[in-house]
Amino acid sequence: MNPGSRKKALRYFFQKIIDPLGYKFSPDEEMVDFLLEQEVLLEQKHGIPYCPCQGLTKKREENMKIVCPCIPFHREHFDAIRRCWCGLYVHKDVTDPDALKQIPFNEIKRGQDVR
Amino acid sequence: MKVFMYTLSTCPWCRKTKQFFKEKNIPFEFVDYDLQNEEEQDKIMKEMEKLSTTKAFPFVKIDDNVIVGYNPDKYSELLGEKGKQK
Repeated sequence: MNPGSRKKALRYFFQKIIDPLGYKFSPDEEMVDFLLEQEVLLEQKHGIPYCPCQGLTKKREENMKIVCPCIPFHREHFDAIRRCWCGLYVHKDVTDPDALKQIPFNEIKRGQDVR
Repeated sequence: MKVFMYTLSTCPWCRKTKQFFKEKNIPFEFVDYDLQNEEEQDKIMKEMEKLSTTKAFPFVKIDDNVIVGYNPDKYSELLGEKGKQK
């Protein structure tokens, strides 16, 4: 499958997963296209569309937590920053993704909503 | 002032971080974690674990300060603080 078709297929497949989680693709189409492109490359290299912004290790169970969409493994974190780490997905009510900050979980106080 | 970062070649936020320092003409060094061999990746992950509980990218060190995630406000603050101390 050529990269362009694979990107469409991933998008179609991921949409079904993220919707019930309360997320949508970022309104920043350029970012979405670039990230999906990176995931196609990662899939070609590793066989799995991993998150383009988190590092793989030799520990398989850790790697499984960054298979896209990785929202379920980082729910509390991503709900607090209202986006996933790489910014491919945002909360459904987000209209300005640039306003969202990439804050690590250890810097977020429990229950804090980072706006 | 020393700026060093661990990045991923696939990560747009890592590219934005490099761009931030380029535009300010601040010299920095970086290592693309995903392009290293496994042994080197192990070393990097251990160092990241030592310095922060979060092993995500971009992973930026400005002197002794560690900033995980693209955070231009924090970079400016640390760069600015450096300026004020003189």
